[in-house]
Amino acid sequence: MFRTGKHIRVRIHLGSVAFGLASMFSATVFAAEAAPQAGNIWGAQIKVSRGVVSIERDGQRYPGLVGARLKEKDVIQTGGNGSVGVMFNDNSTLSLGPDAEVILQRYAYDSTTYMGAFDAYIKRGTVSVQAGNIAKQAPDAMRMVTPKAELSGTAKNYVVSVGE
Amino acid sequence: MNRLLIILALALTASACAHRDNYVLLPDRTGQAGTLNVKPVEGGKPIKLDQPYQAASSTLGGGFEEGTSSEQDVKKRYAAALDASPPPVARFTLYFLEGSDELTPASKRDLEAIMAEITARPAPDIVVVGHTDRVGTVADNDRLAKRRAESFKKRLQERGLADDAIQTAGRGEREPLIETPDETAEPRNRRVEILVR
Repeated sequence: MFRTGKHIRVRIHLGSVAFGLASMFSATVFAAEAAPQAGNIWGAQIKVSRGVVSIERDGQRYPGLVGARLKEKDVIQTGGNGSVGVMFNDNSTLSLGPDAEVILQRYAYDSTTYMGAFDAYIKRGTVSVQAGNIAKQAPDAMRMVTPKAELSGTAKNYVVSVGE
Repeated sequence: MNRLLIILALALTASACAHRDNYVLLPDRTGQAGTLNVKPVEGGKPIKLDQPYQAASSTLGGGFEEGTSSEQDVKKRYAAALDASPPPVARFTLYFLEGSDELTPASKRDLEAIMAEITARPAPDIVVVGHTDRVGTVADNDRLAKRRAESFKKRLQERGLADDAIQTAGRGEREPLIETPDETAEPRNRRVEILVR
């Protein structure tokens, strides 16, 4: 079991390095084009929030209220009576039932080409997933990862339940 | 006696790991399911789900087994998560006069329906996606599409919407409503889609 945890941590790290390089690269490409615009750092917004919902960002904890914006690396948590619905820029949605925890490992989306990368780690709880433009463009670009498996494909809707 | 102990040990293990992972593929609004590939982290045989309510459940051995769930079972087990799904995106399409960012008269009137949808939502955010027909180069059309979206954004801001509640995108000629050969003027492709989310 311990081995599994370590394995996952290593993979997250590599993922973020790869993303760092990818975003540096795309920033260069954008700069060369005619209309540079301020990058949208926000990847998602909370649309539904019930009971206790919190967001952990850079070690700080914030209430997960309706309207709150989320970005890559944020951790979404719900309490015993909590549930939350999140809409991403590419129209993907994740909604979490009670006692759930999801880490937004990676979120990048180009709204012109629909190319992107969406990796979420579902640590525990029940989650309903709706795939959006990123998965429509490239099914493997959206991956839901649990401690036991990695999920991807052309599916538009599915549900995930992860025990501890 | 030994056998009893083994059974007891198995029963204890089973209850300690009662929380098995369960993944269920659901149909979309048209009844299609697509495919969901379940790749075990520890290695082992991947499972491919491609039927509505087909499921993968983790086993005690670290692998997964295939099974079938049902609409009722999913509704019961995932009630809270499903109930928290964000309301569906409301989509509107408005049309432009050729080569410009000026809306057609009919589309100017549709603006009222869009405003009503926006005010009905507690935390609305709007995505304006500009599209063009295939007259001109891809790069020019990307710029025109973006300009159409930006122009419509200004119109929404004049109605009191905050700058950070509106995202714009230009899809250029990538997503025509009507398929045409290149360099064909097609009014129905010169449009913006408004997504109220």
